[in-house]
Amino acid sequence: MNPPFPATSAERLEELWKRIGGILEGESPLPSRIAEAAILATGAREATLYLRERDAWVRTGEKLPGAVETDEIPEPMPAGVFLKEGCLWLPLASEGELHGLLRLSEAPSGEPSEHAPLLAFLFGSLVAAHRLARQVREAEFELKARLLELESLYDLGLSLGGQLDLSALADEVLFRSISLTDAGKGGLVLFDDADHLLLERSVGGEILVSRDCVSWMLPEGGLINNESTTDAMRDGSCSKFLAVPISVPGRRLGILAVADKESRDGRVLDFTPTDARLLSRFANQAAAAIETARLHKEAIEKERIERELELAAAIQRQILPRDLPRVEGLELAARNRPTRQVGGDYFDWFPLSGGRLAFLAADVSGKGVPAALLVSTVHAAVHLQIDDAKTVADLIARIDRHLQRYAATRKFLTVFFGLVEPDAGVLRYVSAGHNPALLRRAAGGIEQLKATGVPLGMFPNASWKEEVVAFERGDLLCVYTDGVSEALDAADEEFGLERLTALVAAGTGPEELTATVFDAVEAFAADVPQYDDQTLLIVRRT
Amino acid sequence: MGNADPNEEIQVSETCKVSSERRGDVAILWTDGYINNQGGEEIAREAYAHLDRGVRALVLNLEKTRIVNSIGISILIEVLEKVMDKKGALAFCGLTPTIDKTFRIMGLAQYAEIYPTQEDAVRSVSQPA
Repeated sequence: MNPPFPATSAERLEELWKRIGGILEGESPLPSRIAEAAILATGAREATLYLRERDAWVRTGEKLPGAVETDEIPEPMPAGVFLKEGCLWLPLASEGELHGLLRLSEAPSGEPSEHAPLLAFLFGSLVAAHRLARQVREAEFELKARLLELESLYDLGLSLGGQLDLSALADEVLFRSISLTDAGKGGLVLFDDADHLLLERSVGGEILVSRDCVSWMLPEGGLINNESTTDAMRDGSCSKFLAVPISVPGRRLGILAVADKESRDGRVLDFTPTDARLLSRFANQAAAAIETARLHKEAIEKERIERELELAAAIQRQILPRDLPRVEGLELAARNRPTRQVGGDYFDWFPLSGGRLAFLAADVSGKGVPAALLVSTVHAAVHLQIDDAKTVADLIARIDRHLQRYAATRKFLTVFFGLVEPDAGVLRYVSAGHNPALLRRAAGGIEQLKATGVPLGMFPNASWKEEVVAFERGDLLCVYTDGVSEALDAADEEFGLERLTALVAAGTGPEELTATVFDAVEAFAADVPQYDDQTLLIVRRT
Repeated sequence: MGNADPNEEIQVSETCKVSSERRGDVAILWTDGYINNQGGEEIAREAYAHLDRGVRALVLNLEKTRIVNSIGISILIEVLEKVMDKKGALAFCGLTPTIDKTFRIMGLAQYAEIYPTQEDAVRSVSQPA
């Protein structure tokens, strides 16, 4: 039993503080301290504290605060301390604001209750001060959180500036987005130029359905959906989400999304426009970094291709003969003008026994490294087979079989293969789909030696007919690739067989004719870039 | 767009797992996953259990945590306040650079030290024999 209170207010206050001061300065939560102090001060059997939290009453004094049934709180609320159903109720107010209610059960009547207004004032002030301190702490925390957002944006810019690893970049952006929006989950998908999925990241479960994201159109500034899910979100995986596009002008690179914003009390909160702005800024940072990484990759790829082309061109230059062979009774000339890209023209000479000369001009379909590889394969095949072949047609068939078996790419080539036998005065040839060679007779007139079969590498088990024509003294053979006859001028007109035939007919010798043809083609094309190699072989019997 | 395999994901699970071990009057807590409301509560539960059993200092090793949100931070601040009320000590280790900076800005580093390794952290909070 507590001793009676002294008579004067000051003495009463001092005595009250002696009794409850130690409790109120303790370490347990404030509601427990208030309840304990109230029991000690009033002799009540039980004290329950109700606090006003976000427009709802919360009962404390239990292990965890719980929501209060509305009928527990007297309604209407009487002014000041009041008695109801045997309990003494103390409104805890400060500066006109009601913060809570203290219910004292079975409080002894008389003296203690006379001090109830004093206790109500004291406890009300304590609750108000406690709340104010909490609000200051929360404001300070909020301020720091805003500072963290700004610092994060700055850091992300620095971090992503040199980040060329797309995977690390995606993680960095996603982790920061989830963290700073207090989201429970997050996802990031990136698409390539063809809108195929390039990369997918998720935290806390897969929330984005990547295949549906491809066609998912997001409104300007992103989509805040606090009510329902869309097709692009994993069904039932989240209740509230925020999604923004990751894009550069003219192209969408991906989507960044977060879901289920958390609160300290376990509720799922709505995402706010501030969250949307923050997420958009992260997405913009990501887009800039991804674009930089893509351009970097393209530059590297371009450099690699140029190196490959240079290498392929060097290989091709090594394959083409640098010097003309010396063959009794024959006068030769050859020239090759490659285009900037590695092309597929190939020519070669093969001086054989008995004063004979074999030669070929070939044109591979396509450009670049694959064409260069095929040229290289043809070069190897001809050099391997030429000594074993019985006839020109046999040699062409052998080369074709070699290509069918070993060529890495499914390309084909046209070939004119000739064999001059000066002693017999004949030219044997096979033209596998090649442009008509021009045979200028010493006696006058020009004959066209047309194709005797299909291009090589086109059909398995194809065969070629070998033709034999007279090759008299003074006769001249002109073999060329379509880069010569099909050279284009600014009006897209071809140089044409007619112009070439006219030049061949002019009657000059191999060296001069070669120069004349190349000069004429160059003049015809003027400055129009040509995309096909130009090759010319001239053989004249002297 | 570098050399890393884009499919090689860093897995961050929805639930944060917390394990701990007591070494004298120091308890080491290891976290694995996202420190959000759930993760923070797990840490607090484990930390308070140790404090109630007389542990004086805590070391939180976050080397398997890549994300912390503000709810998680506010719970860590509560844990820190509790440790300080008991005149104890708390140290962090294994933080990613991002989390390290986050803790410094949010004020956690004001009363709790951050160390690069667990050994350094344990040594700093251990009282000399």
